[in-house]
Amino acid sequence: MKQTLHTRRHFLRTSLLGGAVSWTVPAFLERTFFALDAMAADSLIQTATGKDAPILVVLQMAGGNDGLNTLVPFTDDAYFRARPSLAISANKTLKLSDHFGLHYKLAGLKSLHDEGHLAIVQGVGYPNPNRSHFRSTEIWHTASDSAVTEKYGWMGRYFDSCCSGEDPSVGVGIGNQTPQAFAAPEPRGITFARPEQFRFDLKNATDRDVSDEFFRSMNDFESEQMDGASIGMLPGHADGKGDTLDFLQRTSLDAVVSSDKVAEIIKRTQPGVSYPPNRLADSLNLVARLIGGGMPTRVYYVAQGGYDTHSSQAGSHEKLMQELDTSLAAFCADLKAQGNFNRVLLMTFSEFGRRVAENASGGTDHGAAAPLFVIGGKVKPGLHGEAPSLSQLHNGDLIHRVDFRSVYATILSKWLNAPVEPVLKRAFPLMSFV
Amino acid sequence: MLASLPPSEWTPDAAAHLLNRAAFGGSPDEIHALYAKGHRAAVQNLLQGGEEEDLFPAPEFGPMTSLGKMREKSMRPEDRAALKKEANREARKHLDEARMWWIHRMASTPFPAREKCVLFWHGHWATSIQKVKDPFLLLQQNQTLRTNAFGSFDRFTKEMSKDPAMIRYLDLNNSSAGKPNENFAREIMELFTLGEGHYSEQDVKEVARAFTGYRINPKTGAFVFSSKKHDSGTKNIFGKTGAFNGDQTIDLIVAKPQCAEFLTAKIWNFYAGENPSHAWNQVLASEYRASNLNMGDFLERIFLSREFYSSKYRRRQIKGPIQWLVQTCKVLERPMPNPKMVNATLQQLGQVLFAPPNVKGWDGGRAWISSATLLLRYNLAGALVRGGSSTPDIEKILPRGTPPDKACELLSARFFQAPMSPALRTKTMDFLKANGESPAVRRDLVHLLLSTPEFQLT
Repeated sequence: MKQTLHTRRHFLRTSLLGGAVSWTVPAFLERTFFALDAMAADSLIQTATGKDAPILVVLQMAGGNDGLNTLVPFTDDAYFRARPSLAISANKTLKLSDHFGLHYKLAGLKSLHDEGHLAIVQGVGYPNPNRSHFRSTEIWHTASDSAVTEKYGWMGRYFDSCCSGEDPSVGVGIGNQTPQAFAAPEPRGITFARPEQFRFDLKNATDRDVSDEFFRSMNDFESEQMDGASIGMLPGHADGKGDTLDFLQRTSLDAVVSSDKVAEIIKRTQPGVSYPPNRLADSLNLVARLIGGGMPTRVYYVAQGGYDTHSSQAGSHEKLMQELDTSLAAFCADLKAQGNFNRVLLMTFSEFGRRVAENASGGTDHGAAAPLFVIGGKVKPGLHGEAPSLSQLHNGDLIHRVDFRSVYATILSKWLNAPVEPVLKRAFPLMSFV
Repeated sequence: MLASLPPSEWTPDAAAHLLNRAAFGGSPDEIHALYAKGHRAAVQNLLQGGEEEDLFPAPEFGPMTSLGKMREKSMRPEDRAALKKEANREARKHLDEARMWWIHRMASTPFPAREKCVLFWHGHWATSIQKVKDPFLLLQQNQTLRTNAFGSFDRFTKEMSKDPAMIRYLDLNNSSAGKPNENFAREIMELFTLGEGHYSEQDVKEVARAFTGYRINPKTGAFVFSSKKHDSGTKNIFGKTGAFNGDQTIDLIVAKPQCAEFLTAKIWNFYAGENPSHAWNQVLASEYRASNLNMGDFLERIFLSREFYSSKYRRRQIKGPIQWLVQTCKVLERPMPNPKMVNATLQQLGQVLFAPPNVKGWDGGRAWISSATLLLRYNLAGALVRGGSSTPDIEKILPRGTPPDKACELLSARFFQAPMSPALRTKTMDFLKANGESPAVRRDLVHLLLSTPEFQLT
């Protein structure tokens, strides 16, 4: 079998095919090269990462956000009956309509709403809700039915079907752990928390150039030293796909390539506006700089933790709402100042809402459906979907009115201009929030 | 009975595999010493240890009484704020002491297999300072984990249900007759014993009733049972009816066949590095039952089995951050770095002791690796190799005047416990030929070898 091979690195740097050499490569790289060849023939792909391409930011509110105290149904007696100590009174909420108001700490989101940049999808969930954090998070990340365990993530399938062969930084997770939503048979997407540390450090080496060359040859396979036998040190190595060393080599390659680019952007850009001092804000600040600096990333993933409020919820939830609100307000202001606000859509989600009735510890237990936010320069503002009934419950939980995959389908189809079915495996009703 | 490893397959590399997985690996000398004992004696030696009682005296601090005081309504707000600040400062200090004490113990105990097993259980009975707040309770839990690490699962589970850190972490201290909190009831079945799908939502509600009345003595940090808060009524659990209390409920849970299967899959994954196939897990579960769910006995069976040494598991497991740090120090024959560096390392690589990310513990495996953590590992390796006050002895690792091909053998035995790949071998020889062999150059080479995908595996 003879074919022209190119290092992924070379391709990524130049977006051109050239420098052909022929040698044996590890199985996963070989597949990458096939993909690159196929892709180069398809010039349409090149436009996908253009300067004006739409960007999605996914913000996970981890732990199960209390939807009822986020978007408060302040005229519903059932709400006040179920929550004698936790209910937020009508006059405290930031009113969006005659029946619903935002948590009193969400003033920034209220302004975004009034400007026409905030949509709220009500009653989002899925059939046969699972109340385990881990399982439900997995369901949201993989977009699977509740009864089906799916290994790969919905963003991973999106990258696979629409961004094949592209830069690994097509997806960027802020943090140290790759979100499951990015998982794919041939995963793309990079993850890092601190740009200044996202770089191989050779400053103590005796001869930096020589060390750098050694390092790159062992980590991004640019060198001809890299041959197929290089992984023969592992006894019994045979299977390409799914092999642990393949996975490590691929991750290493992606890290080395994209760290060059991130370093370059961070060097060249300055933080735009001032952000509040919390981790979510740090993450969003970094995302804004990468967007402003022209990363070819289509999807960013950030997370805020702490929503598992089984006890003494009032104070902790208030703090979380404030962090969320001030961080999002700064992020939107930053994007507006950059002129990128119209290119970005941010959606929030949480693995589930919480039980309608408060518990005996001043908290709430795991529930089901909840609202989510969609923010951006081009959203159709206001309330979407239908609020779940507080009198017709299933085991004490709200019954969802919108399948979360309808939200995904809408974003894929109307925002990312991507076909829905290869990603979600079937069609879902589209909504009108974008 | 598991087929045992034939004596002819007990090789230095097999001994290295055992030491890597059952404990935290070791220097070439340590591997050789283990190999020389012979297989059975090596396994027994690892599992029986021989650590003197008071070799690692626990840091001395008591429960945080200030947490209770802060709740007193009569306290003036400014006093409360000052108390809170002081309490936080103290908690951080105690937590750091506890962390360093444990990691130092992992790295230097003559009984490292027990510490590795305690680490397994810490991930299993995951409990975090984030919610528990009081380092004393976590240190106390750590001792409970150690006492029970190689013991029976049944007794272990009962002790953990009464462990004050666990009680606080999963809200048992707020669970009372008439107002049960479901948090512990759900997690004990989902994450600690049975796995999802082997209990109903109704079981969760009933089990929650059985564990009502579990409390913590705020002065001593000990478990207390409040019969006043306990729901002594009739419960219906897994279709059985009775006035079950917590321990009786654990008897019902542990008796379910899924319990052994759930545990063996997890144990096998931790030690062998892969999820067992369904058929293999059935075999493991019957071994575990034959051991009366005794961990020490079960691990001995695994470590003596032929399957554990199969090439499909060797050098296939991604080192977790703790394993990476402790093992890297061991193969470099250097002491643990200073507390600040240990904390920063584990935090950024994603495995902070006493602070698992959630009640499921650390996901492990590929979840340890992202582009971020991989580059961090490479950079941290540089710090360990060149390392400040306690630089490794490069003369011992790679003596001056070693011919390049011999150098490859020494380095691969020490760092990979397997032959180097041809590419790495060529690169290494070229590097030495081109750069000479000053100590700095040899250190650079070691750093580069540690900055490879291969070094992340054990």
